[in-house]
Amino acid sequence: MLRKAISPRFLRSPACLLLVLPLAACDGRQSVLNAAGQDSRQLLYLFIVMLAGAVVLWLGLNGLFLYVTRLRPQALKIHNVNWFLFGAGVLFPSVVIGALLAWGLSIMPAQRAAGDGLRIAVHAEEWWWRVEYWPKGATTPIVSANEIRFPAGSRSELHLSADTYIHSLWIPALGGKMDMIPGRTTVLTLHPDLEGFYRGQCAELCGASHALMAFQAVVMAPDDFARWLKDQAASAPPPTSPAATRGEALFRDEGCGACHTVRGTEFVGAVGPDLTHFASRGTLGAGNWQPTAENLMAWIAHADDLKPDVAMPAYDWLDPDQLADLAAYLKGLT
Amino acid sequence: MAQRSLPPTDREDEDELRDESLSLWRIAFSPIIWAAHFLLCYAGAAIWCARVGPTQGTAFLRLSVLALTLIALGLIGWVGWRALQQWRPEASTADRLHHPENRHHFLGHAAVLLSLISVVGVIYVALPALFIGTCQ
Ligand code: HEC
Ligand SMILES: [Cu+2]
Repeated sequence: MLRKAISPRFLRSPACLLLVLPLAACDGRQSVLNAAGQDSRQLLYLFIVMLAGAVVLWLGLNGLFLYVTRLRPQALKIHNVNWFLFGAGVLFPSVVIGALLAWGLSIMPAQRAAGDGLRIAVHAEEWWWRVEYWPKGATTPIVSANEIRFPAGSRSELHLSADTYIHSLWIPALGGKMDMIPGRTTVLTLHPDLEGFYRGQCAELCGASHALMAFQAVVMAPDDFARWLKDQAASAPPPTSPAATRGEALFRDEGCGACHTVRGTEFVGAVGPDLTHFASRGTLGAGNWQPTAENLMAWIAHADDLKPDVAMPAYDWLDPDQLADLAAYLKGLT
Repeated sequence: MAQRSLPPTDREDEDELRDESLSLWRIAFSPIIWAAHFLLCYAGAAIWCARVGPTQGTAFLRLSVLALTLIALGLIGWVGWRALQQWRPEASTADRLHHPENRHHFLGHAAVLLSLISVVGVIYVALPALFIGTCQ
Protein backbone atom coordinates (compact mmCIF):
# COMPACT_ATOMS: atom_id res chain seq x y z
CA MET A 1 0.00 0.00 0.00
CA LEU A 2 2.64 2.49 1.11
CA ARG A 3 4.92 1.15 -1.61
CA LYS A 4 2.33 2.00 -4.22
CA ALA A 5 1.56 5.42 -2.82
CA ILE A 6 5.18 6.60 -2.78
CA SER A 7 7.05 6.45 -6.06
CA PRO A 8 10.65 5.19 -6.08
CA ARG A 9 11.69 8.42 -7.72
CA PHE A 10 10.41 10.37 -4.76
CA LEU A 11 12.16 8.05 -2.34
CA ARG A 12 15.45 8.80 -4.02
CA SER A 13 14.88 12.57 -4.20
CA PRO A 14 16.42 15.17 -1.89
CA ALA A 15 12.91 16.24 -0.87
CA CYS A 16 12.37 12.85 0.71
CA LEU A 17 15.62 13.17 2.63
CA LEU A 18 14.43 16.53 3.97
CA LEU A 19 11.19 14.92 5.09
CA VAL A 20 12.83 12.11 7.04
CA LEU A 21 15.65 14.20 8.56
CA PRO A 22 13.51 15.49 11.47
CA LEU A 23 12.86 11.86 12.48
CA ALA A 24 16.39 11.89 13.86
CA ALA A 25 15.10 14.15 16.62
CA CYS A 26 12.31 11.80 17.68
CA ASP A 27 14.40 9.90 20.22
CA GLY A 28 14.21 12.93 22.52
CA ARG A 29 17.38 12.20 24.47
CA GLN A 30 19.12 14.99 22.62
CA SER A 31 16.27 17.26 21.64
CA VAL A 32 15.43 20.84 22.56
CA LEU A 33 11.80 19.86 22.04
CA ASN A 34 12.06 17.47 24.99
CA ALA A 35 12.77 20.15 27.62
CA ALA A 36 13.62 18.63 30.99
CA GLY A 37 14.78 21.68 32.93
CA GLN A 38 13.95 25.31 33.66
CA ASP A 39 16.53 26.68 31.26
CA SER A 40 15.64 24.52 28.27
CA ARG A 41 11.94 25.16 28.87
CA GLN A 42 12.56 28.90 28.66
CA LEU A 43 14.45 28.46 25.39
CA LEU A 44 11.72 26.20 24.01
CA TYR A 45 9.13 28.84 24.86
CA LEU A 46 11.21 31.50 23.10
CA PHE A 47 11.51 29.22 20.08
CA ILE A 48 7.79 28.49 19.89
CA VAL A 49 6.87 32.17 20.17
CA MET A 50 9.34 33.03 17.41
CA LEU A 51 8.10 30.18 15.25
CA ALA A 52 4.48 31.24 15.65
CA GLY A 53 5.45 34.86 14.97
CA ALA A 54 7.34 33.82 11.84
CA VAL A 55 4.33 31.89 10.57
CA VAL A 56 2.03 34.89 11.13
CA LEU A 57 4.49 37.21 9.38
CA TRP A 58 4.91 34.84 6.47
CA LEU A 59 1.16 34.51 6.01
CA GLY A 60 0.67 38.27 6.33
CA LEU A 61 3.39 39.10 3.84
CA ASN A 62 2.17 36.60 1.28
CA GLY A 63 -1.41 37.66 1.88
CA LEU A 64 -0.47 41.26 1.08
CA PHE A 65 1.42 40.09 -1.96
CA LEU A 66 -1.60 38.19 -3.16
CA TYR A 67 -3.78 41.21 -2.47
CA VAL A 68 -1.75 43.70 -4.51
CA THR A 69 -0.90 41.32 -7.36
CA ARG A 70 -4.13 39.31 -7.76
CA LEU A 71 -7.04 40.66 -5.76
CA ARG A 72 -6.67 44.37 -6.35
CA PRO A 73 -3.92 44.92 -8.91
CA GLN A 74 -4.02 48.68 -9.35
CA ALA A 75 -1.69 51.63 -9.02
CA LEU A 76 -1.26 52.82 -5.44
CA LYS A 77 -0.64 56.36 -4.27
CA ILE A 78 3.09 56.89 -3.87
CA HIS A 79 2.51 58.73 -0.63
CA ASN A 80 0.67 55.76 0.92
CA VAL A 81 3.22 53.30 -0.38
CA ASN A 82 6.06 55.27 1.15
CA TRP A 83 4.42 55.38 4.54
CA PHE A 84 3.56 51.70 4.32
CA LEU A 85 7.15 50.82 3.43
CA PHE A 86 8.42 52.89 6.32
CA GLY A 87 5.94 51.43 8.79
CA ALA A 88 6.07 47.78 7.75
CA GLY A 89 9.63 47.75 6.44
CA VAL A 90 11.53 49.85 8.96
CA LEU A 91 9.53 50.60 12.09
CA PHE A 92 7.81 47.24 12.56
CA PRO A 93 10.89 44.99 12.13
CA SER A 94 13.01 47.29 14.31
CA VAL A 95 10.46 47.12 17.11
CA VAL A 96 9.85 43.36 16.78
CA ILE A 97 13.55 42.51 16.64
CA GLY A 98 14.24 44.95 19.47
CA ALA A 99 11.56 43.29 21.60
CA LEU A 100 12.88 39.79 20.84
CA LEU A 101 16.42 40.93 21.62
CA ALA A 102 15.29 42.44 24.91
CA TRP A 103 13.38 39.27 25.81
CA GLY A 104 16.32 37.04 24.91
CA LEU A 105 18.70 39.20 26.93
CA SER A 106 16.33 39.32 29.89
CA ILE A 107 16.38 35.52 30.29
CA MET A 108 20.17 35.29 30.12
CA PRO A 109 20.92 36.27 33.73
CA ALA A 110 18.80 33.34 34.98
CA GLN A 111 21.02 30.91 33.11
CA ARG A 112 24.03 32.37 34.87
CA ALA A 113 22.38 32.53 38.28
CA ALA A 114 24.43 31.18 41.18
CA GLY A 115 24.01 27.46 41.83
CA ASP A 116 22.47 25.85 44.91
CA GLY A 117 25.69 24.18 46.04
CA LEU A 118 26.94 21.58 43.58
CA ARG A 119 29.74 22.68 41.28
CA ILE A 120 30.75 20.44 38.38
CA ALA A 121 34.04 21.20 36.63
CA VAL A 122 34.16 19.92 33.06
CA HIS A 123 37.40 20.01 31.09
CA ALA A 124 37.21 19.24 27.38
CA GLU A 125 39.97 17.01 25.97
CA GLU A 126 40.50 15.51 22.50
CA TRP A 127 37.71 14.05 22.24
CA TRP A 128 36.31 13.39 25.65
CA TRP A 129 35.33 15.08 28.92
CA ARG A 130 37.02 15.19 32.31
CA VAL A 131 34.38 15.65 34.98
CA GLU A 132 34.89 16.69 38.62
CA TYR A 133 32.14 16.97 41.21
CA TRP A 134 32.64 19.56 43.93
CA PRO A 135 29.77 19.28 46.41
CA LYS A 136 29.29 22.16 48.85
CA GLY A 137 32.34 22.44 51.12
CA ALA A 138 34.41 19.82 49.28
CA THR A 139 38.19 20.27 49.33
CA THR A 140 38.96 17.53 46.81
CA PRO A 141 36.82 16.65 43.82
CA ILE A 142 35.16 13.37 42.98
CA VAL A 143 36.55 12.51 39.56
CA SER A 144 34.71 10.89 36.69
CA ALA A 145 34.56 11.22 32.90
CA ASN A 146 32.25 11.20 29.89
CA GLU A 147 29.11 11.38 31.95
CA ILE A 148 27.53 14.27 33.86
CA ARG A 149 24.95 13.60 36.53
CA PHE A 150 22.70 16.20 38.12
CA PRO A 151 20.39 16.19 41.11
CA ALA A 152 16.87 17.10 39.97
CA GLY A 153 15.21 20.21 41.33
CA SER A 154 18.23 22.36 42.09
CA ARG A 155 20.60 24.59 40.16
CA SER A 156 24.08 23.19 39.51
CA GLU A 157 27.04 25.25 38.31
CA LEU A 158 29.12 23.94 35.43
CA HIS A 159 32.63 25.44 35.34
CA LEU A 160 33.96 24.81 31.86
CA SER A 161 37.50 24.79 30.50
CA ALA A 162 39.36 23.14 27.63
CA ASP A 163 42.72 21.63 26.81
CA THR A 164 43.94 22.63 23.33
CA TYR A 165 40.96 23.47 21.16
CA ILE A 166 37.74 25.37 21.66
CA HIS A 167 34.82 23.07 22.39
CA SER A 168 31.26 23.76 23.44
CA LEU A 169 29.09 21.95 25.94
CA TRP A 170 25.49 21.40 24.97
CA ILE A 171 22.78 19.27 26.58
CA PRO A 172 19.78 20.26 24.44
CA ALA A 173 17.23 18.77 26.82
CA LEU A 174 18.59 20.78 29.74
CA GLY A 175 19.72 24.16 28.40
CA GLY A 176 21.72 26.27 25.98
CA LYS A 177 25.31 25.95 24.79
CA MET A 178 28.43 27.34 26.41
CA ASP A 179 31.87 27.57 24.82
CA MET A 180 34.83 25.87 26.48
CA ILE A 181 37.94 27.91 25.85
CA PRO A 182 41.56 26.95 26.63
CA GLY A 183 42.99 29.10 29.41
CA ARG A 184 39.63 30.39 30.61
CA THR A 185 36.76 29.28 32.76
CA THR A 186 33.26 29.85 31.49
CA VAL A 187 30.24 29.22 33.67
CA LEU A 188 26.88 27.76 32.77
CA THR A 189 24.26 26.92 35.35
CA LEU A 190 21.49 24.40 34.77
CA HIS A 191 18.33 23.61 36.70
CA PRO A 192 17.10 20.19 35.50
CA ASP A 193 13.87 18.90 36.95
CA LEU A 194 12.79 15.78 35.06
CA GLU A 195 14.70 12.64 35.98
CA GLY A 196 16.03 10.68 33.04
CA PHE A 197 18.85 9.97 30.63
CA TYR A 198 19.84 12.64 28.12
CA ARG A 199 22.65 13.15 25.66
CA GLY A 200 25.15 15.96 25.48
CA GLN A 201 27.30 16.78 22.49
CA CYS A 202 30.29 18.97 21.70
CA ALA A 203 28.77 21.84 19.74
CA GLU A 204 31.89 23.56 18.40
CA LEU A 205 33.77 21.96 15.53
CA CYS A 206 37.00 20.95 17.26
CA GLY A 207 38.72 18.35 15.09
CA ALA A 208 38.60 14.92 13.51
CA SER A 209 36.38 13.32 16.16
CA HIS A 210 34.21 16.32 16.95
CA ALA A 211 31.05 14.46 15.98
CA LEU A 212 32.07 11.58 18.26
CA MET A 213 32.60 13.83 21.26
CA ALA A 214 29.44 13.25 23.24
CA PHE A 215 28.45 12.18 26.72
CA GLN A 216 25.54 10.91 28.72
CA ALA A 217 23.73 13.31 31.03
CA VAL A 218 21.69 11.83 33.84
CA VAL A 219 19.20 13.64 36.06
CA MET A 220 18.51 11.81 39.33
CA ALA A 221 16.32 12.28 42.40
CA PRO A 222 18.42 14.19 44.96
CA ASP A 223 18.66 11.19 47.34
CA ASP A 224 19.71 8.84 44.54
CA PHE A 225 22.24 11.40 43.41
CA ALA A 226 23.77 11.70 46.88
CA ARG A 227 24.04 7.92 47.15
CA TRP A 228 25.52 7.64 43.66
CA LEU A 229 28.07 10.38 44.40
CA LYS A 230 29.16 8.57 47.57
CA ASP A 231 29.72 5.40 45.52
CA GLN A 232 31.71 7.34 42.94
CA ALA A 233 34.00 8.72 45.66
CA ALA A 234 34.96 5.19 46.69
CA SER A 235 37.92 3.25 45.30
CA ALA A 236 37.46 0.73 42.50
CA PRO A 237 36.25 -2.75 43.55
CA PRO A 238 38.99 -5.43 43.23
CA PRO A 239 38.59 -8.02 40.45
CA THR A 240 36.31 -10.91 41.40
CA SER A 241 36.78 -13.46 38.59
CA PRO A 242 39.89 -15.18 37.22
CA ALA A 243 39.40 -13.46 33.86
CA ALA A 244 39.18 -10.05 35.53
CA THR A 245 42.30 -10.78 37.58
CA ARG A 246 44.19 -11.69 34.41
CA GLY A 247 42.78 -8.51 32.87
CA GLU A 248 44.15 -6.41 35.71
CA ALA A 249 47.61 -7.90 35.15
CA LEU A 250 47.36 -7.10 31.44
CA PHE A 251 46.21 -3.57 32.29
CA ARG A 252 49.48 -3.21 34.23
CA ASP A 253 51.75 -4.95 31.70
CA GLU A 254 50.39 -3.19 28.64
CA GLY A 255 50.86 0.21 30.26
CA CYS A 256 47.18 1.15 30.35
CA GLY A 257 47.76 2.51 33.85
CA ALA A 258 50.19 5.11 32.51
CA CYS A 259 47.26 6.89 30.89
CA HIS A 260 44.28 5.82 33.00
CA THR A 261 43.56 6.16 36.70
CA VAL A 262 41.82 3.41 38.62
CA ARG A 263 41.61 4.77 42.16
CA GLY A 264 42.66 2.36 44.89
CA THR A 265 45.25 0.74 42.59
CA GLU A 266 48.72 1.61 41.37
CA PHE A 267 47.21 3.01 38.13
CA VAL A 268 47.35 6.77 38.33
CA GLY A 269 47.76 7.92 34.71
CA ALA A 270 46.04 11.16 33.81
CA VAL A 271 46.21 11.23 29.99
CA GLY A 272 42.90 9.44 29.40
CA PRO A 273 39.57 9.18 31.20
CA ASP A 274 39.39 8.05 34.82
CA LEU A 275 38.22 4.41 34.71
CA THR A 276 37.64 3.86 38.46
CA HIS A 277 33.89 3.31 37.99
CA PHE A 278 33.89 2.89 34.22
CA ALA A 279 31.27 0.11 34.29
CA SER A 280 28.83 2.35 36.16
CA ARG A 281 28.73 4.69 33.17
CA GLY A 282 26.39 3.92 30.34
CA THR A 283 28.69 4.50 27.39
CA LEU A 284 32.07 3.77 25.82
CA GLY A 285 34.29 6.22 23.92
CA ALA A 286 32.62 9.43 25.18
CA GLY A 287 28.94 8.78 24.71
CA ASN A 288 29.18 6.73 21.52
CA TRP A 289 28.92 2.98 22.07
CA GLN A 290 27.38 0.54 24.54
CA PRO A 291 30.08 -0.69 26.95
CA THR A 292 29.56 -4.35 26.02
CA ALA A 293 32.44 -6.85 26.20
CA GLU A 294 32.43 -7.04 22.41
CA ASN A 295 32.65 -3.28 21.94
CA LEU A 296 35.33 -3.01 24.62
CA MET A 297 37.47 -5.57 22.80
CA ALA A 298 37.04 -3.68 19.53
CA TRP A 299 37.89 -0.40 21.26
CA ILE A 300 41.08 -1.67 22.91
CA ALA A 301 42.30 -3.40 19.74
CA HIS A 302 41.47 -0.51 17.39
CA ALA A 303 40.43 2.68 19.15
CA ASP A 304 41.70 4.65 16.15
CA ASP A 305 39.34 2.80 13.81
CA LEU A 306 36.37 3.83 15.90
CA LYS A 307 37.52 7.36 16.61
CA PRO A 308 39.82 9.25 14.22
CA ASP A 309 42.84 10.98 15.81
CA VAL A 310 42.22 9.31 19.15
CA ALA A 311 45.04 9.69 21.70
CA MET A 312 44.78 6.03 22.78
CA PRO A 313 47.04 3.57 20.96
CA ALA A 314 45.60 0.56 19.09
CA TYR A 315 46.48 -2.67 20.91
CA ASP A 316 46.24 -4.79 17.76
CA TRP A 317 48.83 -7.33 18.94
CA LEU A 318 46.64 -8.60 21.78
CA ASP A 319 44.87 -11.89 21.01
CA PRO A 320 41.10 -12.27 21.54
CA ASP A 321 41.54 -14.02 24.90
CA GLN A 322 43.64 -11.20 26.24
CA LEU A 323 41.17 -8.62 24.94
CA ALA A 324 38.34 -10.57 26.63
CA ASP A 325 40.27 -10.57 29.93
CA LEU A 326 40.78 -6.80 29.73
CA ALA A 327 37.10 -6.36 28.95
CA ALA A 328 36.20 -8.53 31.97
CA TYR A 329 38.39 -6.35 34.19
CA LEU A 330 36.81 -3.14 32.87
CA LYS A 331 33.27 -4.55 33.22
CA GLY A 332 34.06 -5.24 36.89
CA LEU A 333 34.87 -1.56 37.59
CA THR A 334 31.37 -0.80 38.83
CA MET B 1 45.63 66.80 -6.85
CA ALA B 2 47.45 67.99 -9.97
CA GLN B 3 45.60 70.55 -12.08
CA ARG B 4 44.39 69.15 -15.33
CA SER B 5 42.39 70.87 -17.96
CA LEU B 6 39.04 69.23 -18.08
CA PRO B 7 36.14 69.57 -20.45
CA PRO B 8 33.67 72.12 -19.09
CA THR B 9 31.09 69.61 -17.83
CA ASP B 10 33.67 67.70 -15.81
CA ARG B 11 34.89 70.93 -14.31
CA GLU B 12 31.35 71.69 -13.22
CA ASP B 13 31.19 68.29 -11.61
CA GLU B 14 34.38 68.97 -9.77
CA ASP B 15 33.09 72.25 -8.44
CA GLU B 16 29.94 70.55 -7.30
CA LEU B 17 31.90 67.81 -5.65
CA ARG B 18 33.78 70.39 -3.63
CA ASP B 19 30.55 72.03 -2.57
CA GLU B 20 29.03 68.72 -1.68
CA SER B 21 31.96 67.37 0.27
CA LEU B 22 30.30 68.30 3.55
CA SER B 23 27.18 66.39 2.48
CA LEU B 24 29.31 63.38 1.64
CA TRP B 25 30.83 63.55 5.08
CA ARG B 26 27.42 63.95 6.63
CA ILE B 27 26.39 60.60 5.16
CA ALA B 28 29.19 58.93 7.08
CA PHE B 29 28.79 60.76 10.41
CA SER B 30 25.99 58.67 11.88
CA PRO B 31 27.51 55.26 11.10
CA ILE B 32 30.84 56.53 12.46
CA ILE B 33 29.17 57.54 15.73
CA TRP B 34 27.49 54.12 15.86
CA ALA B 35 30.84 52.40 15.27
CA ALA B 36 32.58 54.51 17.94
CA HIS B 37 29.79 53.80 20.43
CA PHE B 38 30.03 50.07 19.66
CA LEU B 39 33.81 50.02 20.13
CA LEU B 40 33.77 52.06 23.34
CA CYS B 41 31.01 49.93 24.87
CA TYR B 42 32.52 46.58 23.98
CA ALA B 43 36.15 47.46 24.68
CA GLY B 44 35.11 49.24 27.88
CA ALA B 45 33.09 46.25 29.07
CA ALA B 46 35.92 43.83 28.22
CA ILE B 47 38.50 45.88 30.10
CA TRP B 48 36.21 46.57 33.05
CA CYS B 49 35.30 42.91 33.43
CA ALA B 50 38.92 41.77 33.08
CA ARG B 51 40.26 44.29 35.60
CA VAL B 52 37.73 45.28 38.21
CA GLY B 53 34.37 43.71 37.33
CA PRO B 54 34.57 40.70 39.63
CA THR B 55 35.18 42.88 42.70
CA GLN B 56 33.47 46.17 41.89
CA GLY B 57 30.36 44.87 40.15
CA THR B 58 28.95 46.39 37.01
CA ALA B 59 27.06 49.49 38.18
CA PHE B 60 29.67 51.96 36.91
CA LEU B 61 30.03 50.07 33.65
CA ARG B 62 26.31 50.08 33.02
CA LEU B 63 26.01 53.79 33.83
CA SER B 64 28.90 54.52 31.46
CA VAL B 65 27.16 52.62 28.68
CA LEU B 66 24.02 54.61 29.41
CA ALA B 67 25.94 57.90 29.23
CA LEU B 68 27.71 56.88 26.00
CA THR B 69 24.39 55.85 24.53
CA LEU B 70 22.71 59.14 25.36
CA ILE B 71 25.65 61.06 23.86
CA ALA B 72 25.63 58.90 20.72
CA LEU B 73 21.86 59.22 20.28
CA GLY B 74 22.09 63.00 20.78
CA LEU B 75 24.81 63.34 18.14
CA ILE B 76 23.05 61.09 15.65
CA GLY B 77 19.81 62.96 16.28
CA TRP B 78 21.53 66.24 15.49
CA VAL B 79 23.16 64.88 12.32
CA GLY B 80 19.87 63.34 11.28
CA TRP B 81 18.00 66.60 11.84
CA ARG B 82 20.44 68.53 9.68
CA ALA B 83 20.18 65.86 7.01
CA LEU B 84 16.40 66.03 7.11
CA GLN B 85 16.57 69.75 6.36
CA GLN B 86 18.87 69.04 3.45
CA TRP B 87 16.60 66.33 2.11
CA ARG B 88 13.33 68.30 2.04
CA PRO B 89 11.20 65.31 1.06
CA GLU B 90 8.42 67.52 -0.32
CA ALA B 91 10.78 69.11 -2.85
CA SER B 92 12.79 66.19 -4.14
CA THR B 93 12.19 63.22 -6.37
CA ALA B 94 14.68 60.47 -6.95
CA ASP B 95 14.22 60.34 -10.71
CA ARG B 96 15.97 63.59 -11.57
CA LEU B 97 19.42 63.03 -10.19
CA HIS B 98 21.11 64.79 -13.11
CA HIS B 99 20.16 68.05 -11.43
CA PRO B 100 22.79 69.09 -8.87
CA GLU B 101 20.07 70.36 -6.57
CA ASN B 102 18.33 67.00 -6.53
CA ARG B 103 21.63 65.29 -5.90
CA HIS B 104 22.02 67.56 -2.88
CA HIS B 105 18.60 66.50 -1.61
CA PHE B 106 19.36 62.88 -2.33
CA LEU B 107 22.50 62.97 -0.17
CA GLY B 108 20.36 64.38 2.62
CA HIS B 109 17.88 61.56 2.12
CA ALA B 110 20.64 58.94 2.36
CA ALA B 111 22.03 60.57 5.49
CA VAL B 112 18.58 60.52 7.13
CA LEU B 113 18.19 56.80 6.46
CA LEU B 114 21.69 56.05 7.72
CA SER B 115 20.96 58.06 10.86
CA LEU B 116 17.82 56.03 11.43
CA ILE B 117 19.61 52.72 11.16
CA SER B 118 22.41 54.07 13.38
CA VAL B 119 19.86 54.95 16.08
CA VAL B 120 18.54 51.38 15.95
CA GLY B 121 22.10 49.99 15.99
CA VAL B 122 23.13 52.08 18.99
CA ILE B 123 20.06 51.03 20.96
CA TYR B 124 20.63 47.34 20.18
CA VAL B 125 24.29 47.62 21.20
CA ALA B 126 23.30 49.19 24.51
CA LEU B 127 20.47 46.76 25.35
CA PRO B 128 22.65 44.04 26.96
CA ALA B 129 23.86 46.54 29.55
CA LEU B 130 20.25 46.96 30.62
CA PHE B 131 19.90 43.28 31.53
CA ILE B 132 23.29 41.79 32.28
CA GLY B 133 23.97 42.07 35.99
CA THR B 134 27.36 40.39 36.22
CA CYS B 135 30.53 39.98 34.20
CA GLN B 136 29.86 36.27 33.61
C1 HEC C 1 48.54 6.94 25.54
C2 HEC C 1 47.54 6.92 26.55
C3 HEC C 1 46.59 5.73 26.65
C4 HEC C 1 46.90 4.42 26.84
C5 HEC C 1 48.29 3.80 26.96
C6 HEC C 1 45.64 3.73 26.95
N1 HEC C 1 44.61 4.60 26.82
FE1 HEC C 1 42.64 4.14 26.99
N2 HEC C 1 42.18 6.04 26.51
C7 HEC C 1 43.08 7.06 26.28
C8 HEC C 1 42.37 8.23 25.86
C9 HEC C 1 42.97 9.58 25.52
C10 HEC C 1 41.00 7.88 25.84
C11 HEC C 1 39.83 8.78 25.45
C12 HEC C 1 39.60 8.64 23.98
C13 HEC C 1 38.38 9.34 23.48
O1 HEC C 1 37.27 8.98 23.85
O2 HEC C 1 38.54 10.27 22.66
C14 HEC C 1 40.93 6.50 26.28
C15 HEC C 1 39.72 5.82 26.45
C16 HEC C 1 39.64 4.56 26.98
C17 HEC C 1 38.41 3.91 27.35
C18 HEC C 1 37.01 4.51 27.22
C19 HEC C 1 36.69 5.37 28.41
C20 HEC C 1 35.32 5.99 28.38
O3 HEC C 1 34.93 6.60 29.37
O4 HEC C 1 34.64 5.93 27.36
C21 HEC C 1 38.73 2.69 27.81
C22 HEC C 1 37.77 1.65 28.33
C23 HEC C 1 40.17 2.57 27.74
N3 HEC C 1 40.68 3.74 27.24
C24 HEC C 1 40.87 1.44 28.10
C25 HEC C 1 42.23 1.30 27.91
C26 HEC C 1 42.95 0.06 28.10
C27 HEC C 1 42.32 -1.25 28.53
C28 HEC C 1 44.24 0.31 27.81
C29 HEC C 1 45.41 -0.66 27.80
C30 HEC C 1 45.24 -1.83 26.99
C31 HEC C 1 44.34 1.72 27.49
N4 HEC C 1 43.11 2.27 27.55
C32 HEC C 1 45.51 2.38 27.17
C33 HEC C 1 44.44 6.98 26.42
C34 HEC C 1 45.16 5.82 26.62
CU1 LIG D 1 34.89 19.16 20.95
